Amino acid sequence: MSTVKFNMDEYDEMFEIEDHFEEQFADELEVLAEMEEKTCKPAKRQKQSTGDDISDIEHLLDDKPITPKSTRQKKEMGVVKRLFNAAESQERKVPSQHDDITPPSSPEHYEPSDAVRSTPVVLDISGFAEIPETPGRHPITGSPSSLHVLKRPPLEGDYISVTDSSGNRVYLRQKEDTDTKITESRLIPNSYGALGLLAVPIGVLRTQEAERRHQQVVEESQRLTELLDSVNGVSAEFENAEDENADPEDAEGRASRLWVDRFSPRHYTELLSDDFTNRCLLKWLKLWDTVVFGRERKSRPAFSDRQTGGQKSFKPNQGNQNPNRFKSKIEMTEELLEAELDQYKRPKFKVALLSGPPGLGKTTLAHVIAKHAGYNVVEINASDDRSAEVFQKRIDTATQMKSVLGASERPNCLIIDEIDGAPAAAINILLAVLNRKDGPAGEAGAEAAKKKKKKESMLLRPIICICNDLYAPALRPLRQQAFLLAFPQTQPSRLTQRLAEISVQQGLKADSAALMSLCEKTDNDIRSCINTLQFLHSRGLKQLDARTIQSVSVGQKDQNKGLFHLWQEIFQLPRTKRKRVGEGFDEAPGSGSGAQRFQNVLHLASSSGEYEKVSQGLYDNYLSMRVRDPNLQGTCEALDWLTFSDRLNQVILHGQNFSLMKYLPFLSVAFHFLFAHTNVPRISYPHSHHEASSRLLGCRNALSAMLADIPASVRARVSQLSLSLDVLSLLLDIICPKLRPVNPQLFSSREKEQMHELIDTMLAYNLSYRQDRTPEGQYIYVLEPRVEEVARFPGLPPRRQLTYQAKQTISREMEQEKMRRAEQTMLQRNPAAAAKEEEKKSAGPKPTRNHQQRLENIVKQTIVEMRPEVDFFGRAVAPRPQRAEPSSDTGEKCAVLAMGTAVGNSDVWFRFNEGMSNAVRRNVYIRELL
Amino acid sequence: MVQIVIRGSVDGCSPPQWLLVELQGEMVSRHNSGLAGNVMGDLLYTKEGVPVLIVGHHILYGKLVKLEKPFAIPMETDHQGLTSTSYTVSALIKQKLIFKTRPKPIITNVPKKV
Repeated sequence: MSTVKFNMDEYDEMFEIEDHFEEQFADELEVLAEMEEKTCKPAKRQKQSTGDDISDIEHLLDDKPITPKSTRQKKEMGVVKRLFNAAESQERKVPSQHDDITPPSSPEHYEPSDAVRSTPVVLDISGFAEIPETPGRHPITGSPSSLHVLKRPPLEGDYISVTDSSGNRVYLRQKEDTDTKITESRLIPNSYGALGLLAVPIGVLRTQEAERRHQQVVEESQRLTELLDSVNGVSAEFENAEDENADPEDAEGRASRLWVDRFSPRHYTELLSDDFTNRCLLKWLKLWDTVVFGRERKSRPAFSDRQTGGQKSFKPNQGNQNPNRFKSKIEMTEELLEAELDQYKRPKFKVALLSGPPGLGKTTLAHVIAKHAGYNVVEINASDDRSAEVFQKRIDTATQMKSVLGASERPNCLIIDEIDGAPAAAINILLAVLNRKDGPAGEAGAEAAKKKKKKESMLLRPIICICNDLYAPALRPLRQQAFLLAFPQTQPSRLTQRLAEISVQQGLKADSAALMSLCEKTDNDIRSCINTLQFLHSRGLKQLDARTIQSVSVGQKDQNKGLFHLWQEIFQLPRTKRKRVGEGFDEAPGSGSGAQRFQNVLHLASSSGEYEKVSQGLYDNYLSMRVRDPNLQGTCEALDWLTFSDRLNQVILHGQNFSLMKYLPFLSVAFHFLFAHTNVPRISYPHSHHEASSRLLGCRNALSAMLADIPASVRARVSQLSLSLDVLSLLLDIICPKLRPVNPQLFSSREKEQMHELIDTMLAYNLSYRQDRTPEGQYIYVLEPRVEEVARFPGLPPRRQLTYQAKQTISREMEQEKMRRAEQTMLQRNPAAAAKEEEKKSAGPKPTRNHQQRLENIVKQTIVEMRPEVDFFGRAVAPRPQRAEPSSDTGEKCAVLAMGTAVGNSDVWFRFNEGMSNAVRRNVYIRELL
Repeated sequence: MVQIVIRGSVDGCSPPQWLLVELQGEMVSRHNSGLAGNVMGDLLYTKEGVPVLIVGHHILYGKLVKLEKPFAIPMETDHQGLTSTSYTVSALIKQKLIFKTRPKPIITNVPKKV
């Protein structure tokens, strides 16, 4: 109640200075105004404190007075007293509140933002029965209060009657839980125990237990606020749920419920994430208003200019990031948001894709904003079945249907959480949904009516996707169609502030320095911070200081940061953090003394697990580090360490002795202390190992190919090792003699000999030239087993090469020589055939008188060389007795044989006179014949 | 006016018939040794009666043609006295073998499989 009053009091004066602000946050204001028309003024006030240059902490403080201020305290006390002294006069006081905040409207009206804002931690006194809580974040469903706010007096039990300003009287059912209240507060025994309260003097309590008393005062005042709100008929279920759990006495609730859920933001203004991101998402969601709610989007051309102006003034507030880069980013995003709607009045990007490391509040932001803009949130996350069909069904359900059962008839907003884990098929379905009916309905106007009907299957609801890794391969197609929003780090100041509130509410005493160090330790991960707090609290810790935070081992994320991060951590000295007031706050992880750095690097290295890759990266990069190492001592030491780690690896892998693996991360630590520098290291991904191994493989293959066909006489004396170490480099010189570039037929005998030797050598070592076509289309001759690579040292000048012609000559000669040798070996293998040939040569033409003999010889030869005749069935056929045929000169020879006799080297031959008819036409005289 | 007596034959019987062989082309001796004393070739007849002449590595197909004007081959008969000269027809040629087509070569290098 006091909070409400405060807000109202401060509001008027603040209202004067917010003209500029209004333009800047027009969208939010619009939403707020729409949602809570009655309570828009406080909302504006809230916004102001956000946009204002007053830090965010302060605005939060404004809302919830936690830091004890004497005046405020007194006020609160006063309020408490007044309230409880005059329990009967509540009815009188309540209306006055009403006038300020909310006129009693229909019970399902959305509750005033005041209540939400001021009571995230409100404690319940009214003893409302727990309303089944819609998981976490459903604040806006209306009417449940009707269960408790009755139009008629209840039949049994106690009740309070309440009358509002317009004269409506309602009755509140009341339950007694005095017993719990007595334990929790000696101050106020129960709501009727005004006398009991007065019996104990407040001053005495204050002196006895100042802290505890203050805490309770705050609680009580908030309870009263809650009570009044509920009387107004505007209480909401989520508050109740929260209240019950927030009740410090509710041990069951405390045990079962995480603080993260209990203290998660319920309202836009409570969000801890970056303001700009929040606003962008909200603006994007507001772009859907035209199509979803049918509202016309107000065109504000005049605003857009000033908006950028406002943005600029707003920027310094964004804090420590590089302003230039950020500005361009902001402007780009703004531009996207200012873009025109498409023909269906949908925004250009149908999907918003939030990305960022875990624990920044992405999911919370999506939920809160969706609710804020009047949507019913439907969430699909990693725990749901995300196979393609189910996904399709769920998307269709969420985007095309509407809940008719619940009292809320709000359109759905689909939130797909952890979409980077979804299968690619599911993402393709999502894309198909996005692009559905976009193509054919390109023409406007005439088809407008038809389109209206088609619209049912078109995507008309916003979809918000959330992922950790924006660059997951599966998301690539989605990235182009989505409105991308990257989450920056939460500002530690805001986070600390929130942590302080939580710890105060939980009775945990923590100074801001401790909380600050907690933030640093967890990398501003909200969830991790709160979980750590709860953990410490549940161990019975009531006092929290920086040392405890440092010593506790939880809260440090066991998150795999990636190899590059690890290498960077190893090679970069942490920047010394700004010294804060107090002792030992420069001991953020990674900074500070050697021991801490040691631990930090060790932790990182051992959590990465990829020792092999890490050591390769170290090996590839350590020489390029800017470290003064004039005597190369550091380098030597580093090499020693690398050797050590290699040997460790060898032992581990050979002996399966994995207990030694715990020593591997120390390599990283050693490198850190040897080479770390304050400069940002330029780290390249290690390729040398892969290159070396692939080259080794190539060389081995070439050598084994060469060895495979080396003749046995040479093979007996060379091995791969001797080839690569001794032989090859010389051999490659030997096979490059100086040859005259002329036709080999013109070689002198000396050159011919040289050539012969060369070919001999090459054949002996199984080397040959192969014609190859380079990608440029040139033909070159390459040495066939590519052993040139084996014997080549990278630094040396290239070996003298033979010319193309020379190689061509050698290659041709070698082919011939190979054929010659092959023939020889064949002859050696088949001596019978060779002998026959010899015989044939020696036999020669017999001294026969006529050609008949010769012909017989030929025939004989052919018969001899014929294979044994085989009949159709493969049986051998007895050779026909050819020689038995009569071959005498008598003229009884067959015509064939007779013909054959004429053939051969007869002494006379015939010359045909082509085309000459002289011989025929010539007149022959007798006298010529005579 | 000299009167030359040509007798049909010496012994009164009819003279033998010779064959004229006509070639389109010429016979060449291989070693310029002249044609004399050398076997010219073989003359054969196919079953159909087509004459086939094989000369060297050439084979010639010809035909038998009847001469329009038969030739007689007279021979001077020797007489002791120089007063009168007489001839005897030693042979008559009524047909000739004409080979005027292009000769076909005979491949002597017979492939192994005949």
